[in-house]
Amino acid sequence: MRSLVKINVFVLCLLMVTGLFGPTNVMAAKEIKIGVIYPLTGGAAAAGRELRAGAELAAKLANGVFADIPMTMAQNEGIKSLGGAKIKLIFKDHEGNPTLGADLAKKLILDDKVDGILGCYFSSVTKTVSAVAEQYGVPMINGSSTSPSLTKRGFKWFWRTTPHDKWFTKDLFELLKGITEGKVRGVKGVSKKEIKNIASACEKTEWGSHVSGLIKDMSKEYGFNLKKSLLYTAKSTDLSSEVRSLKAAKPDVMLFASYASDAILMVNTLKAQKAHPKIIWGQDAGFEKPEFRNTLGSSIEGILTRTVFLPKLVEIKPLAGKVNAMYKAKTGNDLGGASARAFTGLQTWVYILEKAGSTKPADIQRAANSINIPGNELVVPWAGIKFSTSGEELGQNVLGSGLIGQYQKQADGSMGLEIIYPFDVSSADMIFPLPGF
Amino acid sequence: MSILLSSIVAGLLFGMVLAFISLGLTIIFGVMDIVNFAHGEFLMIGMYTGLFTAQATGIDPLLTLPVAALVGFSLGVICYYGFIRFLLRGPILAQLLGTFGLMLLLRNLALMIFGSEDRALHKGILVGKSFELGMGVIIPATKAVVAGLSVVAFLAIWLFMNRSRVGKALTATALNAQGARYMGIPTERMNALAWGIGVATVTIAGALIVNFWPVNPFVGILFTMIAFTIVALGGFGSIPGAFFAGIIVGLITEIPGFWDFITYTFNVGWMADVPMTSLKYMWVYLTYFVIMVLRPRGLFGWKH
Amino acid sequence: MEALKQAFNFSDFQRFDLLVAGSTAIFLLLFPLLPHSSFAMSTLIQFLMFSLYGMGWNTIGGYGGQVDLGKAQYVGIGAFTTAVMLIRWDIPFWVSMPTGMFLAICWSFIIGYPLFRLTGHYFAIATIATSLILKDIFEVWDFVGAARGLEISPIKYTSPDFLRLIFKEDMYYYYIILAFFFIGIFYVNWFRKSRLGFQLRSIKDNEDVARSLGINVHWAKIKTYAVATAFVSMVGSFHACYIKNIEPEDTMNLDLSILIALMAMLGGAGSLWGPIIGAAVLIPLKSYLKEYLGAQVGFVGIDLILYALIIMLISAFEPRGIWGIIEKIRQRRGK
Repeated sequence: MRSLVKINVFVLCLLMVTGLFGPTNVMAAKEIKIGVIYPLTGGAAAAGRELRAGAELAAKLANGVFADIPMTMAQNEGIKSLGGAKIKLIFKDHEGNPTLGADLAKKLILDDKVDGILGCYFSSVTKTVSAVAEQYGVPMINGSSTSPSLTKRGFKWFWRTTPHDKWFTKDLFELLKGITEGKVRGVKGVSKKEIKNIASACEKTEWGSHVSGLIKDMSKEYGFNLKKSLLYTAKSTDLSSEVRSLKAAKPDVMLFASYASDAILMVNTLKAQKAHPKIIWGQDAGFEKPEFRNTLGSSIEGILTRTVFLPKLVEIKPLAGKVNAMYKAKTGNDLGGASARAFTGLQTWVYILEKAGSTKPADIQRAANSINIPGNELVVPWAGIKFSTSGEELGQNVLGSGLIGQYQKQADGSMGLEIIYPFDVSSADMIFPLPGF
Repeated sequence: MSILLSSIVAGLLFGMVLAFISLGLTIIFGVMDIVNFAHGEFLMIGMYTGLFTAQATGIDPLLTLPVAALVGFSLGVICYYGFIRFLLRGPILAQLLGTFGLMLLLRNLALMIFGSEDRALHKGILVGKSFELGMGVIIPATKAVVAGLSVVAFLAIWLFMNRSRVGKALTATALNAQGARYMGIPTERMNALAWGIGVATVTIAGALIVNFWPVNPFVGILFTMIAFTIVALGGFGSIPGAFFAGIIVGLITEIPGFWDFITYTFNVGWMADVPMTSLKYMWVYLTYFVIMVLRPRGLFGWKH
Repeated sequence: MEALKQAFNFSDFQRFDLLVAGSTAIFLLLFPLLPHSSFAMSTLIQFLMFSLYGMGWNTIGGYGGQVDLGKAQYVGIGAFTTAVMLIRWDIPFWVSMPTGMFLAICWSFIIGYPLFRLTGHYFAIATIATSLILKDIFEVWDFVGAARGLEISPIKYTSPDFLRLIFKEDMYYYYIILAFFFIGIFYVNWFRKSRLGFQLRSIKDNEDVARSLGINVHWAKIKTYAVATAFVSMVGSFHACYIKNIEPEDTMNLDLSILIALMAMLGGAGSLWGPIIGAAVLIPLKSYLKEYLGAQVGFVGIDLILYALIIMLISAFEPRGIWGIIEKIRQRRGK
């Protein structure tokens, strides 16, 4: 009798133990490791911090339940089709160095055994990292490098969510065309003669030199007269000879592709040299950074920049407002082009994993090629995310679009970006011509 | 025509600014034959000093110069007694790489403390002001002031080195350290003084140029390279030489401007497409190389 | 034949040194077969590359005493020759590498002839200047991809491709660079005992005396400079195939030039093992410090700060480097 009790107790214990372990086994479903390579230190550390915060916020939304945010990934805990698996981000720092980036990619793939890669901001680093990922057949999503050549290499394991520079440059020329046709809010029709002459100055690495080429092509296509296009070193100490060279061409429109420090220097020098073009347009990056705004204060009024996210979007897109509030609570800044795209990049990863229902590279590849995320799930104002699977540009999101914002004085006296393009969502009258420094 | 004029004026101004930056390097080299890779980093420290002093106290950035001088002088003396003294005993290689190590240290400490963001002044009497001279020549007020102060600094240092007792002792140390020691000149202290003055001039220059250039921990290296060129062109150790070499280098960086002048005056189509601005600094290095080979002591060199 | 015998003759080193060197060689040969992380593998490849750079630098900078701070330009020449020939004309590595070496040597003669009229600091800064000039030219030269650089597409060739040196696994790259490494050691071992090697050392000790002995000082320096160049350019070609994406900013920058000189000096300039010891200390230090302190703990730049302190200490207190310290200890024991 006693032995029977003993056996019973023993069996009960066993049941309890298995009972305890059973559910935990299920709950501790496998983690999905995503390697994230960003410039966390070095010259672009400030951008790196934004990118990191954006990706981390997306991971937080994916892993937890946030009922008030109308986004599928925020409603689910973890990846539903993978048994609630959680996303784990492994951050690596490439310091803007392509060689180091390739080493880190190998480390992530072979040592950390990541299921996928996200990154890398600098187009040059994205190039080497995606080459490694391609060789090992590990899927990589790029959220923020905009050099058009990246998706022209025929890679099968590389997808890019952000629109690239060709679209952005096209947006610009559409805007210029719109000005001549009187489509822009607050601007009466301007004859084409008044804005016909263009000059551009771009930094001379991968990104800037591509932009410079695009401006050359498109100005011809749209019938503008590109009088001067020059390339300069981003680490330059003094841009006065560049600015005078631009001025000498007497352009009506000045176009720039600059990183942060050279953008600030450029505007300062333009101001000192009393340049007065009618339009100044920056190709994102430097022109959109909080530093740019904080350093230059009110002298940037009227400057245009292309981007994919502006705080003004909050008024049009409530979802963006909610995410922006969370981001602001975390970092103190509004979402910007860099952080919003990092967020969207990781979000795309979550949706692809959800659709693939497995972490096998082949399944992820299939899912990525057939994914179609509707625009109302995104914080950025795109029609959605859908990658092209054939043609010249493999893996490029075809539903993306850009915005052009203009710095204008806000009610509280600070400088903020107002949406100017696309015309149907513009949030303010465009200041034209530039008031001058 | 206005392109040509404004290029020349800008080249002269920029040259004087560059000469100011190189002054400290030439003093240090003149006295103890050591090439200082950390020179640009001292400039960076001067820029941060000016910036933070102006922001913390609310005074005009132009009045921060004494603070920058003080910081620079003590930093120079500390560096000398704590580090450079030991380097002087070693071969050239150790000296070059040792100061390179100092450069890395200062740059990365700055990165750790201040972060990599660009910071710039946006208040001050001069910030953002410029005046027109006519003929399309525009002079930024800040640069003009720095150029003026550069002339003053060169005159002061030149007078100091040639007229005062201490300065003469410094010059003696520069010409022949051993001989100077026999004559009872404390050469060790002279070296420290040279470091103090050398670093102080460059931090002053830094506090001034922060009026028109943003600062981040990486600004140093390009200035270091340009300062090397200037000092070598002028002849290592020659103070008037550095001034004139600075102006020459300033004009060389304006080559793209002269190029534009020819392009637009004679309307030469293909010239507009030559990427001259990307090659801006190449001409500086090339001039250095050519002049070094033709005249190894530099234009105004008096020792080798 | 005599040259070969000299190259394999290490008898002037102590037996203990040879034992250490031999076991290191065996370890390096077997390393890919041992369980290892890919990070360790890429660190070791970096180490081998920098040892070779250092060995090249050591011939002119160590044995010859000429402080050359412009080696990166030859890395660039090698790398871009290989990349351009492969991308434009599909010429395999084993042809483009010697071509790159040849071009680099031609360039080294062109600039070496005027360059070696300078001495001391003037020479050092002039080498930096030439390197920066070449970098600036490459950055606007469209034929070599300008500042965008060139990319060797990894999907165009099937791996392993031994002719073009396109591999997926790092192991192949490892063994190729290891072979270069051994050849490099034997070559330098011969070089230091060759006529040119002795000439150089007498130039380093006293140039005037060397000249009075009938040595053509200028020519000896130029020849050695070409030797150093060939080493660096060879590794540059390898670099192009290994990284597959090269840009002037990445392959020809000033930091690389200085790093090369630094490794050699840290280990001990003018000794056979110096550059290898230097690379063995600095490369792992750099990559592991960065990995464990930089990105993870968030101490930005801590790796470079420690690195700077090491450089400063060595150059202030033991300019002969680690090998100098070893020799000092031995002398003290011997007495």
